[in-house]
Amino acid sequence: MKGRLNKGVSSPSKFAAALAPFLLVAILALLPLLEPGSETIRLLFVTFVWVTVSVAWNLLGGFGGQVSFGFAVFYGLGAYAAALSLNRGISPILSFLLAGSVAVLASLLVGLPTFRLKGPYFAIATIGASEAVRVVMTNVSITGGASGYRIMETGTFHQLQHFYTALALAVIAMAISILVQRSKFGLALIAIREDEEAASDLGVNPFRAKLLAHALAAALTGAAGGVYARYAAFIHPQGVFAFSVGVAILLMPIIGGVGTVWGPVIGAVVYGLVHEELIASFPQLHLLLYGSLLILIIFFEPGGVIGLLEKSFRVFAYTRRLSGSHPQR
Amino acid sequence: MSAVDLLNLVIAALLLAGVYAAMSVGMTIVYGVMKIVNLAHAGFLMLGAYFVYELYARFSIDPLVGVVLAFPVFFFIGLAVHWILIRRIPSSDQPTLTSLLLLFGLWLVLQNLGYLIWGNADRAILTPRTLYVLQIGPISFPAVRLIVFGAAVASIGGLELVLHKTWFGGAVRALMQNSDAGRIVGVNVEKTARIAFGVGIAFAGAAGGLLAMLYSFSPDFGGSFLLRAFVIIVLGGLESFAGVAIGALILALAETFSILVLPASYQPAIAFSLLVLALVVLPEGVAGLWNKRHRLA
Repeated sequence: MKGRLNKGVSSPSKFAAALAPFLLVAILALLPLLEPGSETIRLLFVTFVWVTVSVAWNLLGGFGGQVSFGFAVFYGLGAYAAALSLNRGISPILSFLLAGSVAVLASLLVGLPTFRLKGPYFAIATIGASEAVRVVMTNVSITGGASGYRIMETGTFHQLQHFYTALALAVIAMAISILVQRSKFGLALIAIREDEEAASDLGVNPFRAKLLAHALAAALTGAAGGVYARYAAFIHPQGVFAFSVGVAILLMPIIGGVGTVWGPVIGAVVYGLVHEELIASFPQLHLLLYGSLLILIIFFEPGGVIGLLEKSFRVFAYTRRLSGSHPQR
Repeated sequence: MSAVDLLNLVIAALLLAGVYAAMSVGMTIVYGVMKIVNLAHAGFLMLGAYFVYELYARFSIDPLVGVVLAFPVFFFIGLAVHWILIRRIPSSDQPTLTSLLLLFGLWLVLQNLGYLIWGNADRAILTPRTLYVLQIGPISFPAVRLIVFGAAVASIGGLELVLHKTWFGGAVRALMQNSDAGRIVGVNVEKTARIAFGVGIAFAGAAGGLLAMLYSFSPDFGGSFLLRAFVIIVLGGLESFAGVAIGALILALAETFSILVLPASYQPAIAFSLLVLALVVLPEGVAGLWNKRHRLA
C-alpha cells in the first residue's frame, strides 16, 4: 500500500489521475456560472444525492461485502429527522448532522444483533428493517403518517444553495471513500469480505469493522436524505422509505462496480440520468429493468462499468502491443 | 378477556401457524442444501397465488385442487430456474453477495411480471365456503382456515415422509448437515440441489395458493410474507424442519395476540421485532437452544 502511494506522484500520468477529481469538482462548482437552466441544476442536485448514497452503500457492501437491502431506512429517517428539525428553526447544517446521527442510531439497531453472527442474518434483517420502519412511519401521527410531511422554511428558495450543499456532501462522501480505501480500516473490510475467519485470525475485529462501516455509511445516507428533504420540501413514507429507494441505492454501486472508489460514482451518474430520463416514462417496467440488470451484471460483468472499462483497456493495450505500433516498455 | 376469547385466539394462531410453516419449509430446504437465501421465494408465493386464482376464475377449478396442481407445476418451474440461473452461482458454505443479489434480481423480475400481467389491483379468491364458520360450542372455526391448515399440515407431512424414507430425502438431509461429507459418501450434489430447489419452489407456489384463500393479494403480495418466512426460519435455526414448525407457531402467536395491544397496521413491525429479539437472545434458533441443552446433558 505504501509503495503504491509513494510512486503515485512520480509519473506525469499518475499525477494527472490524482488531479482529475479536483478538476471535476472545480468544474461542477463553477458550472452555475454558465447559467444552465434550473432543470439542469435540479438534475445535478439529484445526481449528487445519488452519488452520496451510492458511495455510502459501497463502504459497507463493496469494501466489506455486507449486502444491505435497507438503506432506504437511513435515507428516510434522515429525511424525516432533518424535516422535523428544520421546522423547529434549527439551522440546515445542524439539521443534516442530526439526520446523520439518527441514521447512525438506526444502523446500530440493525448492526448490533446481526454483525456478531456469520451467515445471512444481516441481509435478512435489513429487509425486515426497511419493511418495519416504513410501516411504523406510515402510522406515526407527529409526521402526518401516510399523508406525508411538509417542511416550512422561512426565507427565499435559492436553488444554488441546495446545489452546493449536495455537491459538498458528495465530495465529503468521496473523500471518506478514498480515505477508507487507502487506510488499514479499508484493508480490514476487504479482508472480511474475502474471508471473515482468516481476517479475524489476523487480528481484525470483524464485528467492530462492520459496525463502523455500517454507521459511516448510514451517517452519509441519512445526511443525503436530509439534503434531499430540504430541497423537496415535502416527504412521505411511500417516497423516501420506498422499497424501490433501497433497491436503487444497492443497484447504483453494482452498476458502476462494487468495491472501487469510482464505480459507485459512475453507477450513480448512469442511474441518475437513466432513471430521470428513461425509466420515469416507463414506470411499469422499472422493476423488470432493475431486476434483469442485476442478473445480467452478476453473471457477465460483476465488476460493473469499471470492470468493463478495465477489461477493454487491457484488450486494447494487448492488441496494440501485438500490432507493434507501440514499443514495449 | 374471557377464557373463550383466549381459546379462540390460540386456535386462530395455531391455524395461522400451519400456513406459515408451509410457506417457510421451501425456503429452509433451499437454504439447507445450497446455503442460498431464496429472496425470490416471495415472487413464487405471488405466482402461486395467481396460479390458483386463474385456475379458479377461468376454469372454475376448486382452489384446493389448484394448490395440489401447483406442486408439480412449480416444481418444474423450480427445476428450470435452477438450470438457467442457480447452478451458475459458485457454491459456498454461506450466502454470498452473488447469490443474494441474483435472487433479489429474480424477485424484482417476477414481481414486475406480475404487474405486467395482472396490474396492481387487489384480487381475492371467493368460494361459497369462504365465509362459512364452523361453530363448536362457544368456539368458532372459520372453515377456510381449517382447510388451509389441513392442507398445509398434509403437505409438510408428505415432505417429512419423503425426507426420511427415500434416498433423495437422505441425500438432502446429508447435504444439510455437511455437504463435504455428503459428497464423500456419494451424494450427487448438483442433482440433489436441483431437485431440492424444485421442491422449495413447489412449496412456495402451493403455499402462495393457500395464502390466496385467506388474504387478498397483488403482485407485491410476497414481500411481507418473505419477511415472516425469514423470521420463522431464523427462529427455527435456519436448517431444521422441526424448528420451522416451532418458529411458525411463535410468530403466529405473537401476531395474533399483538392485536390485543397494538393496532393491526403495525403487524409487519412485529415480525421484525421478533427477528431482532431472536438474533439477540437465540442466535441459533429454538433448535439451537434444544441442542445446547442436549449437549450439556
